[in-house]
Amino acid sequence: MAEAVLVHLQDVTKTYVMGEVTVEALKATNLDILAGEVLVILGPSGSGKSTLLNLIGGMDRVSSGELSFRQQALHLASNNQLTAYRRDHIGFVFQFYNLISDLTAWENVELAATLVDNPLSTAEVLEQVGLKERLDHFPAQLSGGEQQRISIARAIVKRPLILLCDEPTGALDYQTGKSILELLLDVNRRHGSTVVIVTHNAAIGAIGDRVVRMSSGRIAEIQVNAYRASPEGIEW
Amino acid sequence: MYVLYRKLWRGIWSNKGQFFAMALVITIGISLYVAMSTTYSNLGYAQERFYDDNNFADHYFYVVRAPEGVGKQIAGIPGVEKVTARIQQDVAVIKEDGSRASARLTSYPLPLSGQVNSVALKQGRLFEAYPANGGAEALLDPAYLEANGLNLGEQVEIIAEGRQVPLTVVGTAIGPEFIYAIKDLSSMVPDPKTFGIFMIPLNQAQEVFNLPGQVNQILVVFAPGADIEAVVSQIEDLLSPYGNLASYPRKNQLSHSLLDSELTSGRIMAKFFPIIFLAIAASIQIILLRRMIRMQRSQIGIMKGLGVSNAAVLFHYCSYALAISAVGALTGSILGLLFSRSLNQLYATYFNLPNVEGFHFQIIMYSFILAASVGMAAGLSGSAPIVNINPAESMRAQPPGKSTQNILERFPFWWRRLSPLWKMSFRSVARNRMRTLVTVGGVVAAVSLLLISFFMNDAIDYMMKQYYQKEMLYHYQVRFDQPVLSSETLAISRLDGVNSVETFIEIPVKIHFKGRNVEDVVNGQAQGNQLKTPFDSEGNPMAIPEEGIILGEITARKLGAEVGDLITVETTFNRGAPMISELSVVSINRQLFGSVCYTSLSQANRLLHEADVITGCMLLVDPGRSAAIEAQLSEITGINSITSRQKEIDNITSLMGSSMLFVGIMIFFSLILGLAIIYNSIVMSYNERKKELASLLTLGFTHGEVSGLMLKDTLIQAVPGLIIGLPTGRWLAVFYISSVSTDMFTFPVIISPLSYVLSLLVGLGFILAGYWLATRGLSSLDMIEMSKYVD
Ligand SMILES: Nc1ncnc2c1ncn2[C@@H]1O[C@H](COP(=O)(O)OP(=O)(O)O)[C@@H](O)[C@H]1O
Ligand SMILES: [Mg+2]
Repeated sequence: MAEAVLVHLQDVTKTYVMGEVTVEALKATNLDILAGEVLVILGPSGSGKSTLLNLIGGMDRVSSGELSFRQQALHLASNNQLTAYRRDHIGFVFQFYNLISDLTAWENVELAATLVDNPLSTAEVLEQVGLKERLDHFPAQLSGGEQQRISIARAIVKRPLILLCDEPTGALDYQTGKSILELLLDVNRRHGSTVVIVTHNAAIGAIGDRVVRMSSGRIAEIQVNAYRASPEGIEW
Repeated sequence: MYVLYRKLWRGIWSNKGQFFAMALVITIGISLYVAMSTTYSNLGYAQERFYDDNNFADHYFYVVRAPEGVGKQIAGIPGVEKVTARIQQDVAVIKEDGSRASARLTSYPLPLSGQVNSVALKQGRLFEAYPANGGAEALLDPAYLEANGLNLGEQVEIIAEGRQVPLTVVGTAIGPEFIYAIKDLSSMVPDPKTFGIFMIPLNQAQEVFNLPGQVNQILVVFAPGADIEAVVSQIEDLLSPYGNLASYPRKNQLSHSLLDSELTSGRIMAKFFPIIFLAIAASIQIILLRRMIRMQRSQIGIMKGLGVSNAAVLFHYCSYALAISAVGALTGSILGLLFSRSLNQLYATYFNLPNVEGFHFQIIMYSFILAASVGMAAGLSGSAPIVNINPAESMRAQPPGKSTQNILERFPFWWRRLSPLWKMSFRSVARNRMRTLVTVGGVVAAVSLLLISFFMNDAIDYMMKQYYQKEMLYHYQVRFDQPVLSSETLAISRLDGVNSVETFIEIPVKIHFKGRNVEDVVNGQAQGNQLKTPFDSEGNPMAIPEEGIILGEITARKLGAEVGDLITVETTFNRGAPMISELSVVSINRQLFGSVCYTSLSQANRLLHEADVITGCMLLVDPGRSAAIEAQLSEITGINSITSRQKEIDNITSLMGSSMLFVGIMIFFSLILGLAIIYNSIVMSYNERKKELASLLTLGFTHGEVSGLMLKDTLIQAVPGLIIGLPTGRWLAVFYISSVSTDMFTFPVIISPLSYVLSLLVGLGFILAGYWLATRGLSSLDMIEMSKYVD
């Protein structure tokens, strides 16, 4: 496994100011995200997982500290540079899929593909996520699991270096959730993308190369798994 | 309940842009309603009161001359309530500076009170029949007095029977037949500098015109319930020995018919414009409420689950619409009253009518009722879906908007070539059918209003061009007191700087055809005349026939006569016996104002059994010499009037400012309407798709690309609206003109290409401005926030 560092966080904090109240969502955090790894971020609700993920994905800016992608200092980047970073290197998968309701399965993926110069083939990606049948269906006509598959297809069609998944199984039933995790590992194997999975479900930690445990806005522990468990084998 | 109201206000505040956009549209609708209704009620009331107070005549009879006593005879006819016999005659006026004007010298038997078409004194005192220091006293219409800088006590000089007669001005007065004081239909607007109403006692008029004991007009007010047709023919019979020149009912009286058509068109506009604005405001409210209810479905479910009744929830949403209406009605009424004040003042410059003022509590009340009904209707139909919300069901995730195939997808060749972003836009527009309909309809309304506004401008332009650059090309038109030999114009053509003189004759006639008869003027043009040209209904110039007659369109319609028909022409000069001849209709001409029938000078002479008489001439002069020529013409006795084309144009242009103001206001209002429509449409679509837009940002689309998507949405709806708006506007213009056309006034709907272009440009302007206003906030779209929630 390559040990190259893709994203580097040094003393990163994130503070939200809401009128009188300031919330320290993330306290001085250090973390390296490695190329090709599967990283699971675990922690209870409100512990700062999504905050961390959003910073890594260039959706938000650090309050202090340094955040870099390869040689690029993201904490100094302009809005346009952040947009380009998201477009070229990042794929997002959300709990609630966030598909475009007016576009069919195929078109949702196609839309993402138009963003980059050298996308994967939409047809192949959809086949890989197991959805070559219902390409003309609109999101509303698909089940939650199917929608999540499309949203994964939409994320990976751009050939992102990093796939960021925020509670990807949170809205799905047990079996479907497992098959989605399977798919994420499959993406990691086939395309070598780094996959970061945020979840409050401790059992899922077993499928990662490393597990980051968070509590109260801090990384409490980073655990390196000796081997990655198959999603089929884990229980919750 | 308190919580509900809190929620209402929060709802208003979070949608404040939309709230005010809709309130603004209602404000415009209500202010137009209040302003126009108030003004036209004021005008209507003032007209009615003035007519009543001064016994405005129901019918006019003109004779060559008749003994004063016929008045008494006619008063004896059953069905006749009031009669006044008088002398009225147009005379030339010599002003202090030597220049000419004309006056309608109108006389009144004394005492004045109770007479038909009596007058109301404005300044000074009434005339006396026999002033202590001799001479004659006159009242003038106030506009003439003011325009000519005259003062009470000064004298005006008229020419009557070839003599100069001084009249002492003792006051000013207005009368119900002179409310719109124009000389005849060929003058578009009042020109108080060159045309005035001079009022004198009957005995003085008899002396001035050398008609002792005689009159030439009989004015009648009928008793209620009289068989008018029978009474009129009885009076006509009685007057026939005295040379019946004309007999016409009130509706053909010049001032009355113009005032009435102004009222008619005003009343149409007072309904038409507000309805457009209010209907659009209501439509936006309906779709906005529906969206709010869809968004707040689960909250509504919770409230209903807690036992809040349907009615209470309905009331909550209706009160949102009612709040918009209340704001709109309040500001609209205030603005409307302000507008109506300046509209009233505007009318006061056109119409000599007292007491065009006041405000009507009733109209304000109606405006609130109107706004409230719009709010209620929009509120109820917008919130109707509430009733169907089931508390249990509403908690469940709401089915997202269903997208289906739209029309374009039936053409896969094109559809496949569209980028996903365009597909998104087309589907969103197709899915929100109701909103799309309202947006397209709103743009259509705004653009057609723009086109109508520009058309009003075109109309004025067209009138000026048609009239002054095509129909009449002379610099001066001179009319004589009475028919003269054409050689009389030699003196005029010898004047230094006069380049060309063309002669004509105008003969007042009655035209008979198949039992109908119409009064008109036959205009006989000398052969080779080029300074006055009739035009056909297609706008092509027509040649004057050597024999036969070109009938005016309106006269032809009234008679039911067509080309080739043989009509009977009876001359009605007020001197000499009437002459009767038959003429064939050669063609039909269209005149913007009133009607003129054309023939050759020689044919016209044959009507009079004359050979070489004329009543006027038209001149082309050296521009540098015009002042001198005007002065020299003024010295020639026998000239009744001198019309300067340039002065007429100047006078009209000076009055056009107010029309331009009106056009400007309409353009501004249409712009606001369009802006509000586009703004609301974008904000609604934006609020609904926030989440999707945020997800585009997370994918790596730029803010520019995302707001570009909103622009695509907007253009898909607005461009068809723009395009449909143009023919719709034209159609509305045709409809408007046809509904205000009268016997005396009709108008071709000619819209210049520039107006279409301007309407499109202004339309594009409000689309882009609305888009800019609505998407200003887009950069604050919070991707993170949006990615968190289901809905
Ligand atoms: N936009 C925001 N404004 C204010 N506070 C926020 C915002 N986003 C997150 N927080 C707060 O930061 C903390 C961490 O949130 P988050 O990263 O979403 O936690 P997790 O994803 O682990 O549930 C929480 O206390 C949350 O309330
Ligand atoms: Mg989270």
